[in-house]
Amino acid sequence: MANRVQIPTNNSALIAMIADEDTVTGFFAGVGNVDLRRNTNYLIVDSKTTVKAIEDAFKEFTTREDIAIVLISQYVANMIRFLVDSYNKAVPAILEIPSKDHPYDPAHDSVLSRVRYLFSSESVSSGRR
Amino acid sequence: MGTTAAAGTEGRGEAVGEEDGAILQLLDSLDGYISLMGSLSSSLRQGWLELSSARHSMGNSRISSVLFDMKPHSSATTVDLTVSTASDADQATQPHFSLLKWGSRGDEKSPSVEVDGKTPSQASSSTIYPAVAADNQVRKKRSKALSMFGALVPPKLRVAQGSFETSLEAIIEIANTRSTILSALGRLQTVDLRS
Repeated sequence: MANRVQIPTNNSALIAMIADEDTVTGFFAGVGNVDLRRNTNYLIVDSKTTVKAIEDAFKEFTTREDIAIVLISQYVANMIRFLVDSYNKAVPAILEIPSKDHPYDPAHDSVLSRVRYLFSSESVSSGRR
Repeated sequence: MGTTAAAGTEGRGEAVGEEDGAILQLLDSLDGYISLMGSLSSSLRQGWLELSSARHSMGNSRISSVLFDMKPHSSATTVDLTVSTASDADQATQPHFSLLKWGSRGDEKSPSVEVDGKTPSQASSSTIYPAVAADNQVRKKRSKALSMFGALVPPKLRVAQGSFETSLEAIIEIANTRSTILSALGRLQTVDLRS
């Protein structure tokens, strides 16, 4: 599009992860980051992880300026579904990914849910016209 | 009165055309999004399987998340973010993500690197292989990234690293497709409000 201007941000941003151990382990060598204060860009979710801890991690990663993408296992996203669905910023991008024991389900994806909602409200409003 | 009716019809026609364009873009993006999710699932499954094989040969304690918190670790792969702005106030900004794998873009021209200790001015008789030098650098960075699992790692772990790298590429494409979907949704909602 001729009237679009690309503004490079000159920022190398991180990819954050809220996922099971195998997924975080697999990605850690590439995108894992632990700074001098032991702040990390990942949260490993297991049976002992509380919903509050997941919510806190989600809120932290979505407000940090050095994070561009947040990967979250879909089964973990389902635990904080209200929070994930009410998130509406473009950056960081929230991507729901499958996990070893829980395959990807398009019915629960927040992006696809938004599209479904739009088309259902479109069909309601066009029915009224 | 006839002129007003014609102008109104023309305006509605433009809105319908714009809406159609946004719907087409949305549907194309949705198709791409779902296909990419399928590719991601496939590459992740491969990566988990290879990781399990590596864990089987090395032992659970050698490939464990306990190793991660030991010392500071910088991310070898990052994301470059570009935001496009439009002069039209109705169109929202759309971020574009690109992967900086091992600290460099895949499409950047590799700088010429001297080989055999000779400076470029002395290299008239020797050949400069920028692509090979860049490949060697990437290979070194890859090995360094795996060094947290020990000095000697099994081939399965290296293969798993490759699968997760492929997954990262799919993730970046999914992120860009998501941006396109959200942008198209925004346009549709704008058109809907106008009409």
